[in-house]
Amino acid sequence: DRRRINGPPGGTSAPIFASALSSDQTIEKLRPTRTRQADELRKIFLKTGLTPSASGSAYLELQVPNSPSQSLIPQRSTLKLSCTVHGPRPLPRSAQFSSNLVLTTTVKFAPFATRQRRGYVRDSTERDLAVHLETALKGILIGERWPKSGVDVVVTVLEGEEDGWWGDELSGGASGAGKGGGWGLMNVLAGCITVSCAAIVEAGIDCVDMVTGGVAAAVLDDTTAQKARRKGTAGDDDGNSGSVLAVLDPSPPEHREVIAACVVGYLSQRDEITELWMKGNAGADAEALVDRAVQAAVATRAVLVQAVIESGQAR
Amino acid sequence: MTSASPMPLSFSREIFATVSPAPYLLANLTNVEGEEYPRRTNSRQTDEFRLPIINVNSLQHCFGSAVVRTGDTAVVCGVRGEILHSSDIANPPNVPATSLHPQSGTAGSDTASPAQDIYEIPALNLLVPNIELATGSSPAYLPGNPPTALAQTLSQRMLSLLHSTRLVDVNDLRILYQPPATPEDEETPDVSPAVEIKAYWTLYIDILFMSLDGNPFDAAWGALLAALKNTKLPRAWWDPDLEMIVCSDAISDARGLNLHGVPVSVSFAVFDTKRHKGMGEKDMAWVLADPDTFEEGLCEETVTIVVDGLSSNGMQLRRIEKSGGTIVGKDIMRSIVGRAAKRWEEWHSVIGQAGG
Repeated sequence: DRRRINGPPGGTSAPIFASALSSDQTIEKLRPTRTRQADELRKIFLKTGLTPSASGSAYLELQVPNSPSQSLIPQRSTLKLSCTVHGPRPLPRSAQFSSNLVLTTTVKFAPFATRQRRGYVRDSTERDLAVHLETALKGILIGERWPKSGVDVVVTVLEGEEDGWWGDELSGGASGAGKGGGWGLMNVLAGCITVSCAAIVEAGIDCVDMVTGGVAAAVLDDTTAQKARRKGTAGDDDGNSGSVLAVLDPSPPEHREVIAACVVGYLSQRDEITELWMKGNAGADAEALVDRAVQAAVATRAVLVQAVIESGQAR
Repeated sequence: MTSASPMPLSFSREIFATVSPAPYLLANLTNVEGEEYPRRTNSRQTDEFRLPIINVNSLQHCFGSAVVRTGDTAVVCGVRGEILHSSDIANPPNVPATSLHPQSGTAGSDTASPAQDIYEIPALNLLVPNIELATGSSPAYLPGNPPTALAQTLSQRMLSLLHSTRLVDVNDLRILYQPPATPEDEETPDVSPAVEIKAYWTLYIDILFMSLDGNPFDAAWGALLAALKNTKLPRAWWDPDLEMIVCSDAISDARGLNLHGVPVSVSFAVFDTKRHKGMGEKDMAWVLADPDTFEEGLCEETVTIVVDGLSSNGMQLRRIEKSGGTIVGKDIMRSIVGRAAKRWEEWHSVIGQAGG
């Protein structure tokens, strides 16, 4: 990349910690567990108006209880997103005539957002998230009021949700999705939907309703397996003996195995879903999983409404 | 034809600023009724700076991080360390073994480092700062385009300032290894096996702009300073059995960086009425400290001063950059440098308080 300052030409490698190389039992104690109820969401901090030069802007952060750790290995998995909205602006003269508002979404992970350092060039996961976000937002914008205009929604991910516990991922690939699930991206998308809606409302663009993102997952209920492991009586189990538990707002490192997950963009006043993305094998319970995700979106809406009211009062 | 007196135009300040920005700024600066000093459009005085607000260590995947807000300009800086193995270096620099002290935690930062040390960091690219403006921080910088000339020059200026101030001590970045005595060494029992550099820490300093309202260089440099000051590198060693570099994850083993002084960057812009139309007959010029976007668009000449008050000789001047015009001569430069020294005190106290 000629336009940026590059590191050493020989390449560098991420630091490897001695405790990660030690035996499984010692690091197993560090595995996080879910302390919330199955239908309890993490606390969301949402604020608008951080970029005055943009038409609208918002910042979302998932607040995790601050447990001071003695280790340099990052233990918490949180989400920090910043969104700016520019528009509606006239399209460039060379663009084709469009009678509706042209929405352009961009999602970019900062280089320090994930456990493995990311580059500045957009890769395929970021483009994929941007397409999902565009689908979610297209459903709320009233496009025909803005012909020949475009609006740009830019989301920067300052810290992204992880796909799994780092102890399980020692042989993870470039995206850190050791088991290939990519579950953290669903939480990132849900956050992107909520924060983009807050920024769009602050920009004053006409919408039919407010869209919020909610995630639900079907995970393996391994509380009995954990107890057996501590006692030392557990054998080699693939989890078939555990039952399936449905949780809202899953944090993937807290669960040993995620079977299926679903993220929706939901309009609660009109009871419509603008975006639906499901991963994994939900089997016969797919509809129930979607319903749980809608519940999570409804719970998030309260936070969004509060943030929008505050932004209106601040003007 | 009746000679009607022309209707007085009346429009709001925002329209005046958008339609004719230069006369608007001139009207603000020359309107001194009731005030001792002229006020700019953002109601600051010409030599008044915006107070920075700094929060550190909020990002967990970085060894050090800082968020700096000066007015409406907001910057996030994250410092990540990665390992560069000596075996991956094509032309390793020739570092005499006598200059390598085994890692005892503190390398004397006041002792004059040997001449070879100052070339190690630039030669090996151990510090990699990058500035990203295209995060939607301002309507002019939207993603989808390669870095603009401004972003590239900002990154390059930060890199050259890092190298010229020798802010980071190369001893902090070296990972040393002393091989155990082998049987052949028993012939020379007084000489212990030579300490060698097995690897280096490479610091990737990524700076993202959340919001841009003028003077990006000062905010970015301040964020870099605050982040480096709060960076803690883990203790690393070469494990001969595993044949790789292993780090300790205990926070108690981690050590901070020994930075050379606190160089602070202070920028000014010069508003010159000669360059704009409709300014009246008199030629006037003002030096505006810490310009915002509106003022930067009207000023061609800029001055950036880097001062450091922590060196052994008192307040030292580390760099002067001036370009774009001829208004600033020696006398004005002296007063600007004096003003920059006062600004150093502000930054120094804010960075010190943020560290905690």
